[in-house]
Amino acid sequence: MATNERERAVLSLKGVTKRIGGKTIVEGLGFELFPGEIVGLLGPNGAGKTTTIRMIVGLIGMTEGDISIGGHSIRSEFTKAIRHVGGIIENPEFYPYMTGLDNLKQYRRMTDGITDERFQEVIRLVGLEDALNKRVKAYSLGMRQRLGIAQALLHKPSLLILDEPTNGLDPAGIREMRDYLKEIASKEGIAILISSHLLSEIEQICGRVVVIQNGKLVTVRDIGEQQNKAERSQIEVVVRATPLTVARQALDRLDMVQVTRVFEERNELLLSLKDEDIPLVVKALGEHDAALYRIEEAKSTLEEEFLKWTGGNRIA
Amino acid sequence: MLNHGSGFGKLVVNEWLKLSKKRSFFIAFLIMAGFVALLAYLTTIAPSGETYTALRFAAECMEIRGLGSIMLYIVIISTSGIVAREHSMGTIKFLMIRAHGRSRILASKYVVALLYMLALAVFTLAVTLAAGWVVFGFGASEVSWADLFLQALYTLVYMFVYTTFVFMIGVLTRSAGATIGIGMFAVVLQSILNMVLSRYAFAKYLLFTNTDLSVYATNTAPIKGMTLTFSVIILSVYVILFLAASFVTFKRRDIA
Repeated sequence: MATNERERAVLSLKGVTKRIGGKTIVEGLGFELFPGEIVGLLGPNGAGKTTTIRMIVGLIGMTEGDISIGGHSIRSEFTKAIRHVGGIIENPEFYPYMTGLDNLKQYRRMTDGITDERFQEVIRLVGLEDALNKRVKAYSLGMRQRLGIAQALLHKPSLLILDEPTNGLDPAGIREMRDYLKEIASKEGIAILISSHLLSEIEQICGRVVVIQNGKLVTVRDIGEQQNKAERSQIEVVVRATPLTVARQALDRLDMVQVTRVFEERNELLLSLKDEDIPLVVKALGEHDAALYRIEEAKSTLEEEFLKWTGGNRIA
Repeated sequence: MLNHGSGFGKLVVNEWLKLSKKRSFFIAFLIMAGFVALLAYLTTIAPSGETYTALRFAAECMEIRGLGSIMLYIVIISTSGIVAREHSMGTIKFLMIRAHGRSRILASKYVVALLYMLALAVFTLAVTLAAGWVVFGFGASEVSWADLFLQALYTLVYMFVYTTFVFMIGVLTRSAGATIGIGMFAVVLQSILNMVLSRYAFAKYLLFTNTDLSVYATNTAPIKGMTLTFSVIILSVYVILFLAASFVTFKRRDIA
């Protein structure tokens, strides 16, 4: 099982360490990405996200450890490993005096076997048909971002690495990009690694997050829908009811319900209970003549969890 | 086209396009044409009383002291950014995450720097011949075609060595501005150092004293004991050192 998993991994980091001078920037980092999954790389400023991403694509060397992509080491078989990778590292930078089309052709020439169909398909996909004959100099950041995605997808990579992919996109563009990334992940089985400081972004798109701090792995967590299902047994809900004291007494009597917090100023109680016990809560409140205004699920956001993991450091 | 060695030719095409798609690309050629026209004009009004032919005019233009150093300045300016600007524009990131080794990418850039140098030299030679033909005609001349090509070859060697030097500086400094500055300074320094240092024996091992091979055509070695073969060996050693420094640095560098 373990070896199968390892072979299946598109990207695998093992004990990756980077030291510059006497300073350790990344230490013993290890995680894996499998086909079709979208993983977020999170960490506060200076946690080593950018260094990690640059090591994955071979822009900077590592002091210890190894990274393999599609089963090839980025250290010893660079061209074989990098062939599977498409990426945007920080801002997408192009030759400003050339048109978008000429820029894209540059990258087309660097990989054999990109057909005209593929070329046109990618252009259509990122919605750049109209802007292609303009010089990149005249592009907005959003347009450059799209062109960046286009160059990353031309050679049908199996691993897509995106540093701040929605940076500079308008809300419609962000949504489109998100839908598109989800689609290529599920349809073409591309694994996507995204680093972003927009936690809500990560939350909406990623199935898993890798959190690093001070160059070390803090946690690898499943998030989103999968987590909800897994943790269905015990959920947290906020109940607003008056009078609050009456409501509290009523609920304290229920064994399966725990009142974990009281917000007096808002007349709210935070409860921990099983989904199927919610009708009992409503019934108990009714029996004790407490007026119920609302019941809602208290989802802890990724941001709150992130702050928990990283000890409240500021977010990158 | 040129699709051997898994796409090295395509890398060269890419690099050539990066250079030639700049609006300033043709200005370099215009400047050379302008200088040739100016020299042709000055030669006709100069009261030297000597008779010029197209070949003699072209040969004198192609000398290092003629248009050779101006050509070199233009090559320095035009090729200074070939590596440096990839760094300063940030385009190096997309360039390096392709299935090509770093050495191959750098080699394609070096090839294009040399191609540019060659293109400018060939263009200038053609223009000097055309201008010489129009102004002086192809009369009987003591300068032969062989003399002309030999002169152009000397200048090409001189440009080749400095282009390689400037290429290395571009890799090492990652700054087009610094590269132009250092490159120009080295070329200007050459003439000064040659005068000052020529009395010292060690000066014959310097790059500067060896770059002008045309001195051997008149059998006057700049420093006693220097021969054409000696200079060619010294130049080769320097070129190899420059390239080794460039490739080793480029291969190992972290791109932050």
